Amino acid sequence: MTGQAVQPDIGPEVPPDAAPPDDFGEPAAAPGRPAARLGVAGWLRWGWRQLTSMRTALILLFLLAAGSIPGSVLPQEGTNPAAVSQYYASHPVLARVLGSLSLFNVFGAPWFAAIYLLLFASLVGCVLPRTLRLAGSARQPPPRAPANLGRLPFSATYASALAPEAALQAAATVLSGRRFRLRTGPGWVSAEKGYLREAGNLLFHIALLGCLVSIGLGGLFGYKANRLLVTGTSFANTVTALDEFHPGRLVSPGDLQPFTVALDHFSASYVTSGPLTGQPASFVAAIRYSASPQGPMRSYALQVNHPLVVDGVRVFLIGHGYAPTFRVTDGTGHVVFDGPVPFIPVETSGLTSEGAIKVPDANPQQLGFAGVFLPTAVDAGGRLESAFPAPLRPMVSLVSYAGNLGMNSGPPQSVYTLDTAGLRRLPITPQPLAVGQSMKLPGGLGTLTYTGYQQWISLAITYDPGQLPALVSGIAVLGGLLLSFMVRRRRVFVRARAADSGGTILDVGGLTRSDAAGGFEDEFSSLAAEISAQAAKE
Amino acid sequence: MSRPPRFPRRAAAGAALAAALALGLAACGGGATAQDAAVGTGSSFVSGSYGTTVFQPGSRPQAPAVTGTMLTGSTFRLSADRGAVVVMNFWGSWCTPCREEAPALGALARHFAGAGGGTGPGVRFVGVDIRDDPASAEAFMRTFRIGYPSLNDPNDAVALDFSGTVPPAGIPATLVIDRGGRIAARIIGPVSYDGLKALITQVSAERS
Repeated sequence: MTGQAVQPDIGPEVPPDAAPPDDFGEPAAAPGRPAARLGVAGWLRWGWRQLTSMRTALILLFLLAAGSIPGSVLPQEGTNPAAVSQYYASHPVLARVLGSLSLFNVFGAPWFAAIYLLLFASLVGCVLPRTLRLAGSARQPPPRAPANLGRLPFSATYASALAPEAALQAAATVLSGRRFRLRTGPGWVSAEKGYLREAGNLLFHIALLGCLVSIGLGGLFGYKANRLLVTGTSFANTVTALDEFHPGRLVSPGDLQPFTVALDHFSASYVTSGPLTGQPASFVAAIRYSASPQGPMRSYALQVNHPLVVDGVRVFLIGHGYAPTFRVTDGTGHVVFDGPVPFIPVETSGLTSEGAIKVPDANPQQLGFAGVFLPTAVDAGGRLESAFPAPLRPMVSLVSYAGNLGMNSGPPQSVYTLDTAGLRRLPITPQPLAVGQSMKLPGGLGTLTYTGYQQWISLAITYDPGQLPALVSGIAVLGGLLLSFMVRRRRVFVRARAADSGGTILDVGGLTRSDAAGGFEDEFSSLAAEISAQAAKE
Repeated sequence: MSRPPRFPRRAAAGAALAAALALGLAACGGGATAQDAAVGTGSSFVSGSYGTTVFQPGSRPQAPAVTGTMLTGSTFRLSADRGAVVVMNFWGSWCTPCREEAPALGALARHFAGAGGGTGPGVRFVGVDIRDDPASAEAFMRTFRIGYPSLNDPNDAVALDFSGTVPPAGIPATLVIDRGGRIAARIIGPVSYDGLKALITQVSAERS
């Protein structure tokens, strides 16, 4: 037993004093150590090691996943503020508690940001030092040959007629012929192969950093927006034209790609028979778009999960509905409203939709209407409901109000609901209107005509410059992982000593760092045989 | 000597899992979720963060060449107003803060109507009506006695024209363009009578 004796754990990637023993495992500093001896720097180092430990990263990841659950269970301000206000109306006490925990805006909540920032720091802090260490290890020459090769898991001894130097030379030729990396010393040769494993490991770690950076890039320079678009209208990708705009930290309104999208036609088809009756079969939005204000208009058939990609921005079709059109004449005879009003579907089997018409410039009083649009209106025991999502018998039923809509001052309000606080319900029974029918309001307040309907689509506009780098990094992560799992790192040592009877005795020893895939035994014996044959030949 | 070799395989697998989950999460955040996605788009416009940006005479961005059609059907060309101070207001009859500021804008337009006097063009007000129907827009102008004309901008072309320089970035937005056709100030949010009056007075006192 010598100091050079075999270490089954042949060399960690680093000298043991260069880094904590295992940054993925238990913290190096014992938590139980008294604080007085740790000091501030010690505590900071301990905290950093805790943060960058794999366990913490996994806990944070779990928290991130768990934290996203309320985001998908509860309505969110960002995607569906109307549903949030509805929730507040139906569960006032619970909603206030949930609201104070930011559970209606999970992805913008401080606690959510804390989780992902900590996770980011944890992963970067864990991966970066490993990357540096791996880069060093991939360049490292093989270690010196141990003194006693017979103690290695694989070993063999041969006699050769050659002089020790010549026999070693012959062995080196064989090993370098098998593309081993060589290191020679007095009376020994060390050879190592399988550095691709380290390269794979390195690739994996660099790609992991790449993933993190890409996701960060998307968060800084990307943005998300929503827009509801009625058939026959168009919009440009500019802040004033968007319904919702969620810019990344470094996005300013001038950075938006100046494309224009016009919706010419939307068609939806539904299953008309069988148990799936009313289920959507296909949606196609015929749109025209131009990438720049002066650019040519191109046509595109926008479908669910087939986004329009323009100037690096993806435009997804995420919803559709009906926008009945109305004309309102006020008490003074002026036409004070004439256009489509998007109604929001409240159920999917018949696409019954709810909405509000606000006519703030009607005289002598502001007018408001709230009600439902029924694509295929049928009488179900005295109650109207919609039997099918296609517009087979499109009717509206409205409740009429007059008074103060609350639109001349105060906070901006939802266009889909009426604030009835300052309104008085007009004494007129809501009766279903068919296209072309009118409703005369009592007291000479005016007339509403249901002139027809349009369809609308809702679009999600996403720009994420980190998406492609994230994809490339993701593929590289898997590639690196496969390499590091499939390639074994193995070492072969040869020692030559002069035999008493002249000639040389060659000791050959072999070691692999992991032999899960098997096969090193065969490789070693064929190598050893070749070395012996080569040494015998010359 | 049979201690198994220590390799960071478990750690690597854990990190891979982390990466895969992180990627998965990122993917959930980005894509569309088809039909069940929310369409309720709330107040349905971006009101922007309120504030006034004033550009000093030396550092004013040139206003773009805006052309368009008025609600009345006539043609508008911003360059035709070169020499006058132009106050351009982006509005919609459906927008609460626009209705809040409308009386001040109407009164200011009347106040500055005679300001040109005998010395040349004075102050010109022009509206840009967005996401509106013409009947509602005209009713709005009657309600608030808005005497100046408005562009009908159903394609957001005017807002887009400004996106390279001083984007409106919210509704309402008001731009003050100096006599040389450069943008002197931008106000996001409702204007106040006194604040906008002071701005216009200052800009119109400059020589072109």
